[in-house]
Amino acid sequence: MKLLDTLQHEPITSLDLSHYITVSADTTVRDVLQTLRQSKRNCALVLRDGQLVGIFTDRDILRRVVEHPETWDQPIATVMTPNPRTLTENATAADALSLMNQLHVRNVPVVRANGEVVGNFTPYAIVRFLADSFPITIYNRPPDPKRVARRQYGG
Amino acid sequence: MTTVKTLETPTAEPVRLSRKDFVSDQTVRWCPGCGDYAILAQMQKVLPELGIPREKIVFISGIGCSSRFPYYMETYGVHSIHGRAPTLATGLTLVNPDLSVWVITGDGDGLSIGGNHLLHACRRNVNIRIVLFNNRIYGLTKGQYSPTSPKGLKTKSSPMGTVEHPLNPISVALAAEATFVARTVDVIGPHMGDVLLAAAQHRGVAFVEIFQNCVIFNDGAWEPYSERQIRDDNNLYLEHGKPMIFGKNHDRGIIMGKTGLEVVHLADGYRVEDLVVHDVTSLSLAWMLSRLEYPMPLGVIYAVEKPTFDEGLWAQVNEAKAQRGEGDLNRLFQASDTWTVADRRNGHDGHHEAHIRGEIDANLDEAYVDELMQLATTIGEALEERLAGMTLADLGPRAPIMVETSARLDHAVALMREHNIGCLLVTNADRHLAGIITEGDILSRVAGQVTDLHAATVAEYMTRHPSVLTIDAPVVEALHLMSTHGFRHVPIVDEHNLPVGIISVRDVVDFLAANV
Repeated sequence: MKLLDTLQHEPITSLDLSHYITVSADTTVRDVLQTLRQSKRNCALVLRDGQLVGIFTDRDILRRVVEHPETWDQPIATVMTPNPRTLTENATAADALSLMNQLHVRNVPVVRANGEVVGNFTPYAIVRFLADSFPITIYNRPPDPKRVARRQYGG
Repeated sequence: MTTVKTLETPTAEPVRLSRKDFVSDQTVRWCPGCGDYAILAQMQKVLPELGIPREKIVFISGIGCSSRFPYYMETYGVHSIHGRAPTLATGLTLVNPDLSVWVITGDGDGLSIGGNHLLHACRRNVNIRIVLFNNRIYGLTKGQYSPTSPKGLKTKSSPMGTVEHPLNPISVALAAEATFVARTVDVIGPHMGDVLLAAAQHRGVAFVEIFQNCVIFNDGAWEPYSERQIRDDNNLYLEHGKPMIFGKNHDRGIIMGKTGLEVVHLADGYRVEDLVVHDVTSLSLAWMLSRLEYPMPLGVIYAVEKPTFDEGLWAQVNEAKAQRGEGDLNRLFQASDTWTVADRRNGHDGHHEAHIRGEIDANLDEAYVDELMQLATTIGEALEERLAGMTLADLGPRAPIMVETSARLDHAVALMREHNIGCLLVTNADRHLAGIITEGDILSRVAGQVTDLHAATVAEYMTRHPSVLTIDAPVVEALHLMSTHGFRHVPIVDEHNLPVGIISVRDVVDFLAANV
């Protein structure tokens, strides 16, 4: 398999785009933090009437939330980053990579023409794609790279 | 004497352990590229999530490649007798019902040599987890057919193809009355993690079959279900309460036909409401799923709650004690007829056959092993070849931003903001790496919970003992940690554990982006 070729033809929807939660714009910051923690995610896509209006990630927490307790009971819309750049579901993996690299962001929501959110493109999607493409090389590794078998195991 | 105890939820303060706490100091001896590595990595990811202290976890294995597993887990472990791991595990859970006991076995050890033991551990609902690595071959003994080898498979012991029919481990476990039965695949990491987690939380016997690739003697045995490009067209990912839809384009489903499950295309006028909804408590559905090969059902197939063996047995012991007091083994022995066996050792000189020794030629497999080592580092052409050959130094890791353990938390947050980064390396006063503090830690333990960041120190909120790599490590090592454990940053240290750099998922993305 030629990786480059695959990246250029791989539809973005076949990647693991599951690393996000959705919340409505009037949810309190405290509730969003709670949901993120419970679902082990670090990115919330903020919806109003089903349409994407903003994004809230752990970087926003660092910038605007952690040292500002007065924000904790406010709606998420006050601390989110509004109008994030998005990808359409027709994009390829290569398109997504380029956009992420160019914008220097770590979350790019994937949105249908009608505005419906279908996923979130993250660096993990790429890492997972590489690991799934070369499982023997990437998944099947010993816990400590300094201690590997020099000989085949077996009698 | 022991009384009945249930698996206690960890006390108010759950133990915070990391992957590294479960990595032992033993050199892993499986062949390079073996699927066992991926299972080990997932286990080391899942166990810290349970919050159970290491001394409450035991791995017991029999004989085979998979059975080396206990050596590599920093928990208690027993490498036991061929096929008898369920038996030792049964005894252990009886006297220590609060342990989390895991049996690691393979298709040979579990279904052939130890078939009977496995059946009865399932039937008794012993509170253990049985993880069966199924590679459809005897790997340790170099490639003979096993009880799960498909009919016709040509192996060293079946040069014309085996004439035997394989066992279906899921059907066996269901027929043996197991209360939790699941299946997953070695290289579908997150899926395996979810299944192992569910098995860990089940009370009673949990049987998990893992499709595992033997890269040497039966490579590609599970390819239709593991190969990224085709697996989603062959796998049915089961979820309790969800309709059975499958296919890369979610265009096929399962309906209940007149005599069993049938595959239909949604394009042929079937609606989602027509499809079977998965119900883990239905034994008849579980049985039908166990016989299905297209699509291959993966995930939790069956899960019900039933009284466990230790509960039942200890209830009887306690009842007997309440009625008759503590037992006396000596009195029991003396209670019936006893007799003495004549000493027949006179005249026998105790001669033992000399143990047959043979030094295995140390060079026998060298050429073969060189070939194997290459296999693990060569993944193709062009970009992937470059990626496989690259070290972290080639990827150009950034210099780490560091704080000391005694630093105030508000200082750490300010540093991250100032440098627009999501991760700081934390050092002791002597500059050695002590931990890592990331945006993830801020989200999970600080934001919305700690109001005075100046009163807190970094040491209280950092992640201790992070997994590290050296600058000469291959990039694929970093990818392994990032894909299996979800790490976004891996610290790079020198031979004295002094931080020299940091590599992040961004660096991988940027490298690929620069090449597309």
